[in-house]
Amino acid sequence: MTPNPVLDLRGVRVEAGERVLLDLEAFQLGAGEVLGLMGPNGAGKTTLLRVCLGGERVAADRLRVLGVEVTRLRGAALAALRRRVGYLPQLLPGRSELPLTVREVVTIGRTARAGLGRRLTRADAAVVETWLGQLGLRALADRAFQELSGGEQRKVLLARVMAQEPEVLLLDEPTANLDLGWREELVATLERLHRLSGRAAVVVCHEPEVLPPACRRVVWLDAGRVVAAGPPEEVLGTAWARRLYGPGLRVVHERGRHAVVPGGGDA
Amino acid sequence: MSAGATPWCREVAMPDLVFWAPVMVGGTLAGASSGLLGTFIVGMRIPFLGVCVAHAALAGAVFGGLAGLEGTQLLGPALAGAVFTALALGMADPRRTRLDDNTVLSFLFSATMGLAFLGIGLHGVLGRSDHDVRALLWGSLAFCRWPDVGGMLAVALALVFYAGACFKELQAILFSRELAEAAGIRARAVWAGFLVLAAATLTVNFQTVGGLMIYSLISNPAAAAFQVTRGCARTMVVAAALGAASGLGGFLIAAATDLPSGAVIVLTSSAVLLVCVAVGRRRGRGAAGLARPAGRNPSNERDGAAR
Repeated sequence: MTPNPVLDLRGVRVEAGERVLLDLEAFQLGAGEVLGLMGPNGAGKTTLLRVCLGGERVAADRLRVLGVEVTRLRGAALAALRRRVGYLPQLLPGRSELPLTVREVVTIGRTARAGLGRRLTRADAAVVETWLGQLGLRALADRAFQELSGGEQRKVLLARVMAQEPEVLLLDEPTANLDLGWREELVATLERLHRLSGRAAVVVCHEPEVLPPACRRVVWLDAGRVVAAGPPEEVLGTAWARRLYGPGLRVVHERGRHAVVPGGGDA
Repeated sequence: MSAGATPWCREVAMPDLVFWAPVMVGGTLAGASSGLLGTFIVGMRIPFLGVCVAHAALAGAVFGGLAGLEGTQLLGPALAGAVFTALALGMADPRRTRLDDNTVLSFLFSATMGLAFLGIGLHGVLGRSDHDVRALLWGSLAFCRWPDVGGMLAVALALVFYAGACFKELQAILFSRELAEAAGIRARAVWAGFLVLAAATLTVNFQTVGGLMIYSLISNPAAAAFQVTRGCARTMVVAAALGAASGLGGFLIAAATDLPSGAVIVLTSSAVLLVCVAVGRRRGRGAAGLARPAGRNPSNERDGAAR
């Protein structure tokens, strides 16, 4: 039992027609904790994040985010809670043809905080500049978002989330579709951001390599249910890798990082 | 142009100027407001909105005519039809309906067109003339007078005020409506408000300067601005300026060459887009998103905060 959990879900069930997308007995995220949320495709990872944002029709005994019961929230009250939650989506938004600059995209993180009809202040601009700098984006600040590579766009969206100054981070596959170099850069960035801010975070991922060293607990979902939870070294053992991906694999745990590699024997 | 055989720029008489001044101001205003609207409509990839709103306004006017309204009285039901349709699009939640905005627009377009034709058919059945309805919706710039310009100016000012007051929210919605909602921005309400104003602007412009011209002035100046500039505010200003230039420039070319003004304005805005595409390609701006290979940017590392 976590004292004063940031996320506190009990008896949460999400259905789409006959299909059960999520069926959680209990799920918690502690203050300052970085939690790895893993599982196969369709396990319910993204649904869980959306439930926390109040974006799903859900039956729940308890669904508290930052101490607020989400299930009955609508309109302004839901928007107020969402301002406190930083959400990085799995898919990059690519609908707009408008060439927004990197600085403008990061500034979106300040929009809801400022309030409808109110102008952004110098303090807001300073926060934006801080996160542009923290994520190494100052040289790209006046470039159009669409002109950037996938890795750069991920960092811009992460800067947008951080500029929002959220109390909890929900990061949905932050390294999706990135090459090894960019993946490592993003993992290092996540670790550094946690050291800087100490904010609680849920990191959704498929590979253990994506978990930053700050992640000391992993929850494994399958078919909407929690099937394993605990330290990465316990949940993501060699037996786990072989059961999922076949024999001839083992998991290496080193300096807080975890990797599946070919080879016999346990590491 | 229809007014006289002597090209207007060579021999300008004061009575001509008095007659053509509202036409020029109307064309400029229609271009500027449509260019500003286009920044959002093209930015959200829903240029079809113009066609859809036109038919919704037509349906409203047709049923207003059936109810016994005449002349400018038809503007009321036309506006109601356009605003109702825009609100339907704005309030539709893509996640709940599982329909893309363009699919919703397609549904609304076919439904409002069906209603409009049904109403026109009923005019025939009941032996009534639908001349007023057609004249209201498919006006001509050449007949634009100062009261028309006043109406256009009023909705244009309302649009500018709204875009200014909700600029940061609209910018966030343009980037991603879903992300804006997830960040606690009242995206649906702000977008619905914008669509209502868009419907009003389009309806007033349609009945003053004609449909074809408005379609071209919504999409061409905005698309042209996207090619040569970046940043939301700058793009809005450039799109409005290119729209105004297309409206006024097209009219002056038409006057000088004695050609139909609406057609020349449409072609002028098309030419502006082509020129801007060429300029954008020359600067490596327009196709940059497609041409640039994914990879790390050395400039990115120089900030020193990357790791």
